Amino acid sequence: MENETRRRRRPGRREGEGGRRLHSAGAAIVVSLVALLVSLLLNAPGLHKSAQIQPEGWKRDVALGVTGPLDTASSTLLLDQPRRALKAALGRSGDDVVDTAVAVPEPAPEPEAPVARPEPLTRPLHTARQPLRIWIGGDSLVVVPGESILRAVASRPSIVPAAPIDGRIATGLERPDVFNWFTHIRDLMRSQRPGAVVVMFGGNDDHGFMTGVAEGVTIGSFGSGSWEREYRRRVRGIMDTVTRNGAHLTWIGLPISRDGEQTRRYDTINAIVQSEAAKRPGRVHYLDTYFFFAGSDGGYAQYVTDASGRLVKMRADDGVHFERPAGDRIAQEVLRVLGERFRLRDGP
Amino acid sequence: VLFPTATFAIFFMIVLPASWALMRHGGLWRPFIIAASFVFYAGWDWRFCFLLAFSILWNQGFALAIHRTGAARSRKQLLVAALAGNLGLLGYFKYYGFFVTSTNNLFAQLGIDLPLDVRSIVLPVGISFFTFMAISYVVDVYRGDFEPTGLGKFAAYLSFFPHLVAGPIVRPGELIPQLETPRDPRYVDTSRAFFLIGTGLFMKVVIANYLAANIVDEVFGAPELHSSPEVLIGVYAYAVQIYADFFGYTNIAIGIALLLGFTFPQNFDAPYSATSITDFWRRWHMTLSRWLRDYLYIPLGGNRGSRIFTYRNLMLTMLIGGLWHGAGWTFVAWGAIHGSALVAERWWRARPGFVERPPTAWRRAWHRFVTFQVVCLAWIFFRAQSFSDAWDVITQLFTAWGEPSPLITGGVLAAIAVGIGSQYLPRRLPLALMARFSRLPIPAQAAVLSLALLVIHAMGPEGVAPFIYFQF
Repeated sequence: MENETRRRRRPGRREGEGGRRLHSAGAAIVVSLVALLVSLLLNAPGLHKSAQIQPEGWKRDVALGVTGPLDTASSTLLLDQPRRALKAALGRSGDDVVDTAVAVPEPAPEPEAPVARPEPLTRPLHTARQPLRIWIGGDSLVVVPGESILRAVASRPSIVPAAPIDGRIATGLERPDVFNWFTHIRDLMRSQRPGAVVVMFGGNDDHGFMTGVAEGVTIGSFGSGSWEREYRRRVRGIMDTVTRNGAHLTWIGLPISRDGEQTRRYDTINAIVQSEAAKRPGRVHYLDTYFFFAGSDGGYAQYVTDASGRLVKMRADDGVHFERPAGDRIAQEVLRVLGERFRLRDGP
Repeated sequence: VLFPTATFAIFFMIVLPASWALMRHGGLWRPFIIAASFVFYAGWDWRFCFLLAFSILWNQGFALAIHRTGAARSRKQLLVAALAGNLGLLGYFKYYGFFVTSTNNLFAQLGIDLPLDVRSIVLPVGISFFTFMAISYVVDVYRGDFEPTGLGKFAAYLSFFPHLVAGPIVRPGELIPQLETPRDPRYVDTSRAFFLIGTGLFMKVVIANYLAANIVDEVFGAPELHSSPEVLIGVYAYAVQIYADFFGYTNIAIGIALLLGFTFPQNFDAPYSATSITDFWRRWHMTLSRWLRDYLYIPLGGNRGSRIFTYRNLMLTMLIGGLWHGAGWTFVAWGAIHGSALVAERWWRARPGFVERPPTAWRRAWHRFVTFQVVCLAWIFFRAQSFSDAWDVITQLFTAWGEPSPLITGGVLAAIAVGIGSQYLPRRLPLALMARFSRLPIPAQAAVLSLALLVIHAMGPEGVAPFIYFQF
């Protein structure tokens, strides 16, 4: 009986360092749960966007199933207003907006009769006074080669970066909801007016899930006819957006990866890019990186012997991304391409 | 599973009540927390759960064998075998490629072509942390400082998810006794836990990510394209970024453990307010520095010999500490800079006739300034991918003054000011804030936390970059 009474008695207060009051585990659970639930409502627009831009699969479906009603409830109760005000104050009102518009230029009409052989392109001259403005962008794969390119051009007054490297993790051409490259590149071509553009896309596009597809259009699995048509349209759109603004485009092809299946999927993407680049000679150059990083047996190799005979780590531990020596190798090739396309005079 | 993600929040909201519900039943609680920790670890790669399980069985087996063996020689042999297993595992997963390429290239310079095979090996997340904790368990048992515990308790100690992937490095004597007795559900230090989680999230999600995206990555990516002031601020920003990232992670880890009823040791104590490198190492990654002291520096002989012998031990400890952070010569250089500075400080104080001058405010400020510059110099090597990259950063610090510096914005300077300024706040301030928070009614506490989560989520970037220390 005495034990029973003792068990029911409220525990005495106990204080921690600095006189703070200790609470029960129940209070810890209640505060944690309530705070999380309320913050879910307060952050609902951002969480709903995070759910939308997840990779396809059951996790995305569940996240959308949860955050969709939350977003609606938050909006109805005006609980999303503090977040919107905070975002506006930070100048980031667009953060929670999902933009899936694939804004690409209309393809050029096919000529009815064979046209005369096009005139050979001139090689514009760029000097320290009139430097070639270069812009580098794409998914996370472009970051390391991009840094190497910028390092290489630092000592060349005839080339200047138009903007910092625009490498965005987990993006590509399949998911404009994650990041809309079509709108971004269109705006960038107008605002920065680069003369040379270097891009790398496709590292996150090796699956069959696309957003921004026109209503009524169904996309099949990766590599299917409908998938290829839509992906080709997007590749073509990027190429035309760049070239119709007068810039030269170097498209870095996807490398061999540690996962053989993934490499095969990358081959499919590379083939599309390569064939579209071939239709735009002198304006788009496809840079094949496959054999830069293949081992002596032609397969994937993380370590490759470089030109000086040293064994160097070319690929990151994830089997896809590049290490600095690989970036330098790609940069060397990009500069060679630019040197062929432009007259770059660094001296007086 | 990263801490600042919805996935972890869901995971923790299941584990927290379940853990307290099962706490009184040790026989149920331990299997539950081990299973939860393995689920947490499997979030990266389920295959490495076998590695963690192997480490548990290997070290528990040797700890028991050492404890039961009477002969000193046999005990030593068992210890060497246990350490060989741990270091072999770490060496294979973390350093194999580094040693093979270094050896190949060394012999190639001598004109000898070695047929050493370089394999592509994936580094299991957190391996450096749980291996060090496992070593401390076996060594403590060998030294007689600690009696081996049961397999379940040891498994819970090594795999306990709050510390599993990036520390703090908790000693057996600190955690295993807590695992042996149920935590008291009446007295949980919730205000400290929420304060640590809140500040940790803010430092990681807002400060570290902002600095990385707005100056650090650009400056270290192509230093030649930036002015000297930009490079200088970029280096300071990296110092704040890595502190905010790791301090943030540790705070969250300690806070989560507190909510579950467990106390972890402090890992940071305002390191950028240090007045010497010796002082810095009493404040930065404190659980690693004491591990290095107790399991490396002292076994090497510590300061129990001539001065030269002590300097050698200091240098070796810091070089190995550098290599622990990453399989690369730049990490060794980072350790060498710290080791040299520690040796220089010891030598300076050991000079005949040296008298410690009374600390004045100016002298303290000057010492703090110089210490911070040495720490930042070392960070350049830590962040750079090669010596040539580090050299480019250092060169650019002196050769491009007077050029435009668009990356130095108010936001960047404010984030640096928050990162460094927070280390100079009076210690009573957080204590007072926590005390005041703890006296709020439960609904008010939940409201404050919700608002904090709103601000952190809104100010943070879309998506969260992995913690820097995961790669170590």
